Amino acid sequence: MYAAFVLAVPMFALLIEYIGYKTGDKRYDKLAHEFTSLLSVSFSFTATLGAILTFMLMILYPRFTSYLVSIFDKTFWPYGLLFFAEAGFLYSYYYGWGKFSPRIHMLLGVGLNIVGTAIMFIANAWLSFMTSPSGIDEAGNLVSTWDAVNNYIWMPINIHRVMANVCFGGAIAAAYAGFKFLGAKTKEEKAHYDWMGYVGNFIAISALLPLPFAGYWLGSEIYAFRAQMGMVLMGGAFSWLFIIQAVLIGMLFLGANYYLWLGMERIEGAEKYKKFVKYLLATITVCFVVWATPHSLVATVEEARKMGGAHHPVLGILGVMSAKNTAVNIMILTTYISFLLYRRGNKVATVSWAPLGHTAQFLIFAVTIIFVIIIGIVGYFVEASVRIGLSVPQVISVLSAMISVTIIDIFLFRNARIVGQIRWGEIPARAQYMLFFLAVTFTWLMGLMGYVRSGLRLHWHVYEVMKDTSVDAFTPTLGFAATVVSSIVIIFFIFIMFNFWLTGLLHKKDWEPKT
Amino acid sequence: MKNVIKIFVLTILTTLFYWYVAQMVPQKETHPPESAEVREDMSTAEMVVVGEKISTGKGTCFLCHTMGSEGSRAPDLAGIGQRATTRIEGYSDIDYLAESLFEPAAYVVNGYNPIMTPAHKAPISLTQPEVLAVVAYLQSLGGSPTVTMKTKLKYSADASVTPAPTAVASSDGATVSYDNLSGEELFNKYACMACHSLTDPIQLLGPSLYDVGNRLSRAEIYEAIIDPDAVVNEGFVKGVMSATLQGAGFDKDITPQQLRTMVEFLSEKKGS
Repeated sequence: MYAAFVLAVPMFALLIEYIGYKTGDKRYDKLAHEFTSLLSVSFSFTATLGAILTFMLMILYPRFTSYLVSIFDKTFWPYGLLFFAEAGFLYSYYYGWGKFSPRIHMLLGVGLNIVGTAIMFIANAWLSFMTSPSGIDEAGNLVSTWDAVNNYIWMPINIHRVMANVCFGGAIAAAYAGFKFLGAKTKEEKAHYDWMGYVGNFIAISALLPLPFAGYWLGSEIYAFRAQMGMVLMGGAFSWLFIIQAVLIGMLFLGANYYLWLGMERIEGAEKYKKFVKYLLATITVCFVVWATPHSLVATVEEARKMGGAHHPVLGILGVMSAKNTAVNIMILTTYISFLLYRRGNKVATVSWAPLGHTAQFLIFAVTIIFVIIIGIVGYFVEASVRIGLSVPQVISVLSAMISVTIIDIFLFRNARIVGQIRWGEIPARAQYMLFFLAVTFTWLMGLMGYVRSGLRLHWHVYEVMKDTSVDAFTPTLGFAATVVSSIVIIFFIFIMFNFWLTGLLHKKDWEPKT
Repeated sequence: MKNVIKIFVLTILTTLFYWYVAQMVPQKETHPPESAEVREDMSTAEMVVVGEKISTGKGTCFLCHTMGSEGSRAPDLAGIGQRATTRIEGYSDIDYLAESLFEPAAYVVNGYNPIMTPAHKAPISLTQPEVLAVVAYLQSLGGSPTVTMKTKLKYSADASVTPAPTAVASSDGATVSYDNLSGEELFNKYACMACHSLTDPIQLLGPSLYDVGNRLSRAEIYEAIIDPDAVVNEGFVKGVMSATLQGAGFDKDITPQQLRTMVEFLSEKKGS
């Protein structure tokens, strides 16, 4: 979690710094600097926790560790050197703020991001190899280091993690802003941290929207590697995990939308869009219910026997992939619409083709939603092999809709008439608590998905190559895993609050003896 | 400080909520599969029992396959013992089942993807004797198990294919066939009427089969005969029917053709 945060913050700090540089708006530069201030303590925590993990692996799993070393020894040298480079870039980027020309400083930021991403890619090679090993012979001996690195799920994991890290980093940074907002004494401070929270949340949600698509890719690569593993993931031991995931993601969507709707209250002119909120809420709720509907009933063995199986005696199978995919795609579109309404709250388009632009956007949404629903219905009447492939056109249509509507929106609201101000700082305190709720939810979700990515191998350290032969080898229940994840989340938040406090010391006045 | 406490409480409550959701779903602890004891001197009936254990454990067959309902990922195994006899022309049921386990991509049932990995390779890694036991179990699902521990599969190290005969051998070695009997005659031959009524909705030692065709699909009837303990109706004792059938030598004598006839016969019992 710390590593994800440390890798993500430089990405959006650099982007915000670049926006400040291009627009000349000093607020962006200050914001980027403040985001970066969270890094230095977190980096030390990351390195310490990484060292503890390495020692634990060597002590508890020596045979497994030495096998991984035999496969990946060539990657350890660049990994170690890159870590040094990251420390150099990170501290020079943070402590060099305002000390170099903006271009040189941003170059340091680019270096920091390249090095950080490279470190993550190398570490991803090790863990993805454990799930989908390649580059080895039947006895498990190394044939090609590059093939071992470039295994089936390496690149999907890389992409998924980059996006998820940005999402998580944005959420934690937004929580930091919420924390500071709640303790702010002046209007200026409140305005600043309100804006910072909005930006952090915007980053998190922007990365969240395409994240399910990266998840599809990762899932399909797991199926492509070994279909049985895909079955374990989606239909076997872990199938109920995805109901928990649906609850978490449903909460994220509800929370993110709620924050946007609360935010609209501080935008003069956004009142006209308030009437849509109830419809958006109803749509998200219905989609959430569909998505969180399990495939079969929760039943004891006796109950299942009486029903003649795990499925409902009359309704049969309940939640099915076609309906779930349709629901999640519509939920993504609905959240995007919420954001669109927020964005145009205090603006009126003045371009001559404005009516045409609005109509085009409306038609794109309408056609996409109808298409997604039709594909969902078709999924009920085709064979499983065809049904699996139907998620692709759904995903492509939703992505295309979001991209095309965004492009239209940018041109539509260029030189728009501003009909009101955004009253930064005038947002209810519950919006700040919502930012914390989102950060906790993201963290819990991250822990849960970490469990399934690792647990997916069941009793294998390296799938099909090295079994976990320890006497207490087992894959825990979801309840047990949830207890572990919950404990980690609470420990993480205690640590991160400590980090926030440490970071806050920077802005405190120096201690002086009482006179 | 007040804000810190509020945030801390919010963090705890949010975490507890998700923890609670995770406790509400079915809990399953997965252990590494235990190896079933496969002895060289096992009878075919014992192989069926061991084969079932392997199929539900180490073999992980039911991760994808179903029993008695249409499988969305892999075909339904109910009645496979019978279907295997006619699936590929020129193949005996043992040939077909062995090929399905060793070379699953060689013949893929229409409507399904070739997702199965060879059962003798990782991650399943069944040994040759384990494969034979699984074949026996699969034969028992709608057919008569005829494979023995001495049966040579073409995938064996000493590759000569000598599948066991599919006809039923009587105790004196002569081959006896009852395949031409009607469903009702078979019902009487195996003394099913001692426990089940065919003509009235009355309960004897077992449930009435008067309207069984309305209540169960063909696959479920197969399962009820071959694996009577899989689903036991409320009010009836588990193990009675399987013990009775075993005592009567049903498992040894029934042929795929006879079973097919019986299932057809029972599925037509609609209660009128």
